[in-house]
Amino acid sequence: MTVRMRFPTGPELPVDEVLPATAQGDPGSVRDGSPLAVGDERIVDFLTRVSRRLLAPALARRHPELGSLGFFLRRRELLRAVERLRAALDPQTLAFPRGVVFHIPPANVDTVFVYSWALAALAGNTNVVRISPRSAAAADTILEVLNESLTEADPVVARTQRMVTYGHDDAVTAHFSARCDVRVVWGGDGAVNAVRRHPLAPAARDLTFPDRSSFAALSVAGWEVATPAARRDAVLGFVNDAYWFDQAACSSPRAVFLVGDADRAEAVRAEFVGLLGVAARERGWEVDAAMAVEKRVGAYGLAADGGVAAMAFPDNLVAALDLRTPAAAPRHWLGTGTFGFVTVPDLAELVPFVRRRDQTLTHFGFEADELREFARQLAGRGIDRIVPFGAALRFAPVWDGYDLFREFVRLVTVDA
Amino acid sequence: MLTDVFTLAQAEKEERLRGELIGLMAHHRRNCPPYDRILAALGAETEPATLADLPWLPVRLFKTRKLASVPDDEVIRVLTSSGTTGQVSRIHLDREAAATQSRMLARTLGAVLGPRRLPMIVVDRSGVVGDRRSYSARGAGALGMVNFGRDHLWLLDADDRPDVAALKDFLARHGDAPFLIFGFTFMVWRYLYEVARDHGLDLSQGILVHSGGWKKLADQAVDNAEFRRRFAADSGLTRIHNFYGMVEQIGTVFLEGPEGGALYCPDFADVIIRDPETWREAPVGTPGLVEVLSTLPTSYPGNVLLTEDVGVVHGVDDGHWPGKRFSVVGRLPRAEARGCSDTYAGGRS
Repeated sequence: MTVRMRFPTGPELPVDEVLPATAQGDPGSVRDGSPLAVGDERIVDFLTRVSRRLLAPALARRHPELGSLGFFLRRRELLRAVERLRAALDPQTLAFPRGVVFHIPPANVDTVFVYSWALAALAGNTNVVRISPRSAAAADTILEVLNESLTEADPVVARTQRMVTYGHDDAVTAHFSARCDVRVVWGGDGAVNAVRRHPLAPAARDLTFPDRSSFAALSVAGWEVATPAARRDAVLGFVNDAYWFDQAACSSPRAVFLVGDADRAEAVRAEFVGLLGVAARERGWEVDAAMAVEKRVGAYGLAADGGVAAMAFPDNLVAALDLRTPAAAPRHWLGTGTFGFVTVPDLAELVPFVRRRDQTLTHFGFEADELREFARQLAGRGIDRIVPFGAALRFAPVWDGYDLFREFVRLVTVDA
Repeated sequence: MLTDVFTLAQAEKEERLRGELIGLMAHHRRNCPPYDRILAALGAETEPATLADLPWLPVRLFKTRKLASVPDDEVIRVLTSSGTTGQVSRIHLDREAAATQSRMLARTLGAVLGPRRLPMIVVDRSGVVGDRRSYSARGAGALGMVNFGRDHLWLLDADDRPDVAALKDFLARHGDAPFLIFGFTFMVWRYLYEVARDHGLDLSQGILVHSGGWKKLADQAVDNAEFRRRFAADSGLTRIHNFYGMVEQIGTVFLEGPEGGALYCPDFADVIIRDPETWREAPVGTPGLVEVLSTLPTSYPGNVLLTEDVGVVHGVDDGHWPGKRFSVVGRLPRAEARGCSDTYAGGRS
């Protein structure tokens, strides 16, 4: 039973040799240097080097999506995360790494593994990350950057941070599951359940990021008072949110709630859909024949179920479905560029519709107070983040309701 | 007596089909609420001016939704076709639809088989016809076809090995007068062609009817022309008719003419090739997605279906039979998204 070492890059390694001896229940044998601490300078230093490389102009041109990752890993951002944790703890409480974190990120969103891994590393943990054999070019680029940055790093980084590739080998997943303190599982509900068949140690725990659904809210009044430039920017942001991962990312909007006066909403919607098509085309997004058919299958199916008053396919990029009620809004992927639209008088109307699986609400044209009031009315039953158009895919250390950094540390209290 | 179903020139066919399909559209809208909801949402007209203006359903919709135009207690048979993704089409037939589809299939194939039942070789194993309530595509294909022959030889044994001795015996008894051969294209190639060639068998009196596509033969560089050439050269078999059809339009087959190389539409059916960008009808010679039209479906709204096959019309009213001549040249890949679901299918592979 072997795995391919992607970071530090190397030959196939037996699974037994992936984790350092210190991490496997032998805390006394710290041979080289001190163990990692929360916010360890050696990790901060390494991640800072990675950040610099990701933000280098040549690389950013090739993989613009790595830019936001580069920003996320800047020294200032890292120190802020550590500071935020320290500030939240009272003087009797000390924070330590949890131990070993095993990450199973999604195959097709190429960058998400770095976020959860980087936070777990910053918290001082030993990490094993499964890189899918199906991972895309951006993942390879990230691994190159990590390996290049290793030469200047403290040896503790290579000893404690491991990224490996193996196929759908249950035995390997079982091996790491039995030996970790935290397991981080991303993916569809089926993927999460499949991983959960492999038991954890009794004191270990899962952090799961299963299927989620996301929506957009557009204030009719807010749109009307926005300048043409602001409207265009909003649409560009929305296009980014929707098309970057073929609208299949958990945080990509599947439907747009027009909030305000129903009569006035008609014109707003028409302008929005028009601008949406133009912006998607200008940004170079394409929908091929197979995807165009997929969209018909998805949209016609939703119409067959009722709830779609009208649907229009002005071109392959944009399909607009006129929903009868908010409850008809699709929670499942219907094909790239398929958007439900429904008008509601105010945000409160959406409250009964929201469920646990709803994750992100992107917004345009609302006052901060309106959004906060809406969140209070939801009372945590669903929708974990409310962010402006354009920010749907921007990863944050608080995700799906978890403060990730906080999840990666263990607390020790000393009451003297 | 079978009447010929390859008779109508294109203009006359379109006029007749348009009227019948408009009537069927209204029938399905009355009797299949999900279908009605789709057409209402599309704002479909009640009397489209041309065949190309008729609203189509993506054929895969029969895998994601139940679409039937008859009450459950009138359904006598549910046909299923499995796809590669595990989703299954479910096609609901009542007594009348079941009878019509087999009658029209008989009339279509009668054009090349003649009115009599012929001795028949099925390039499959007999066990493939199983459960009579719910047929697999392979079983339904074989079962629908076995009625056109007599004195059947099921060529393959239980382990899918060709029974060469039985084949020689069949040919000794029936090989000097017309006989029928049926099978899926790749199986006919793998199990019949190679056996006939290696044993020097004479299939010159055979009439081969086959279907299923060329994908599995592509790696052997066997296309329709090569398939016909090699069968003729190595076994004397020249009467070869490929056909194109699907369980979602059961009973309707588009049949390769005697001259070979192109498929023809029976009088009650037609094809429209659509540009997948503009969705308008593509001109002759330009490939696009195949839309199939047929008046046969009455118990489910399957009269106008957009397939995920790529095809091209070669000509209209200029071939062995009247109407459109076309080929199916490939299949769209399955659309895949980059989303964050389905990362770890542990244990599935």
